[in-house]
Amino acid sequence: MFKLIVFIIFSAWAVISSLGVVLFSNPVYVILWLLSALISIAGIFFVAGAELVGAIQLIIYAVAIAVFYIFVLTAVPWEKALKKDSHYRVEGVIAFPFIILLYIEMFIVFTLGVMASPKKQLKLFIERIGNAEVVGSILFSKYFIAFEIVSLVLLMGMIGAVLIGRKESQTYDGDTS
Amino acid sequence: MMEIAINLLIILIKILVILAIALGIGAYLTLVERKVAAHIQRRPGPMVVGWHGLLQPIADGVKLITKEDLFPRYGNRFLYNLALIMALVPAVLVFAVVPFGPPIEIGGREIKPILTDVNVGILLVFGLGSLAVYAIALAGWASNSKYALIGSMRKAGIIISYEVAITFAVMGPLMLAGTLSTFEIVQAQIDQKLWYFWVQPVAFVVYMFSLLAETGRVPFDIQEAEAELVTGFTVEYGGIKFGLFPLVEWYVEVLTLSAIAVVLFFGGWSPINIPFLGFVDPLFFLGPFAPFVWFVLKVALLLLFVLWLHWTLPRYRIDQITAIAWKVMLPLALLNLVITAVIAPLIWR
Repeated sequence: MFKLIVFIIFSAWAVISSLGVVLFSNPVYVILWLLSALISIAGIFFVAGAELVGAIQLIIYAVAIAVFYIFVLTAVPWEKALKKDSHYRVEGVIAFPFIILLYIEMFIVFTLGVMASPKKQLKLFIERIGNAEVVGSILFSKYFIAFEIVSLVLLMGMIGAVLIGRKESQTYDGDTS
Repeated sequence: MMEIAINLLIILIKILVILAIALGIGAYLTLVERKVAAHIQRRPGPMVVGWHGLLQPIADGVKLITKEDLFPRYGNRFLYNLALIMALVPAVLVFAVVPFGPPIEIGGREIKPILTDVNVGILLVFGLGSLAVYAIALAGWASNSKYALIGSMRKAGIIISYEVAITFAVMGPLMLAGTLSTFEIVQAQIDQKLWYFWVQPVAFVVYMFSLLAETGRVPFDIQEAEAELVTGFTVEYGGIKFGLFPLVEWYVEVLTLSAIAVVLFFGGWSPINIPFLGFVDPLFFLGPFAPFVWFVLKVALLLLFVLWLHWTLPRYRIDQITAIAWKVMLPLALLNLVITAVIAPLIWR
């Protein structure tokens, strides 16, 4: 009962903040709504008992990723931030079928997850040995190859970013030490 | 029903005590800092208000609250005020996972002196701690002033670089303890009869560097830089609003990060440790209060160390700060992590 009330509060908060992300025109407000949505989703994870996922949501999404948007925005001059030419209506209509597709995918994944452990063995397993241990043991046993491939892809992305961001002619190595 | 009411009451009392500790001690640390600074420079420091300036923080508070509330004309008032809230709330929330002592029994009911013993406590500390970036970036942007913006960008860059180093630094002790809960980390150190400082000195050095950088203490106070940026991102704030930023940054955050350092490296509430042999407790006569006194003592020593550095060292340049973070601190922390991962299982498993 108590859990349900907290869950409803967090999910309503998430829905409202997501609407805010779409409807506001000032980019700084949009980032703040995004931050609020991410924090409320972390709250939903905590209610569901997935503490590790909640904490990682907070660290990776709310801090590491959203903060880079803030970085970009603080470099944007004030007059540009207040302009209202950032709403793309045609693109919004075109995106609609993809949104439905995403919802269908979410539904399929969810039912697959329920079917994977119909007797809630996974839940009992998690309760017995704790959150972080479960994630670690599953990642490094069953999904080990997928995990390694993902880390390789990330590494390649990082190397690419370094290559793009590097401007050989503009470094000032001689001046600093 | 009765049970729920009692539990709620206990939680309420814990919250009040923690708020009082965080903000009350935070405010009084201003006096401590001024006294320490004064004695380092062979001055007496505040002496007029109260005995040896003991009432000085209250006088300062009254003065700051009664000052006129100025606001930059072309700023954004909502974000300007929101930045204050976003600075204060995460910094105080971190105290929710700081364990102050061993479980105590009151009226046949075991109470842990920690607000929530979540099993990912350490991750929460760093998640909430880095939310401070938003307050700084917003304060700089909403003030609509060049000094404030430059100060906030510098500070945000420093926090992001050192957040990576500090996260890898704490992985060493976490690996030895085998848990992410702050309470159980201390318990693991007591069981293993070992402060992790003795086996993780490199991680501790990286942690202290990151602590100084994240809280904007000397030698990393480049976002302040009185000589070039006036006072950085707080330049457009006045009165108590101006007072809150240093209070949060310099005192509340240093307090929380020192407490976490004590938990991770100095065995929380345990007495003096002889590695692998046991604990020596010169304060045994205090009985059940001894663990709490030990915890406060260790945090106080670490705080004094930070103050001592503040009034001794000059400051780095901004490019030197980020260069240290990425070229020295991060490789050191990674090396420490790898060595720990290789050696720790040989000893404990």
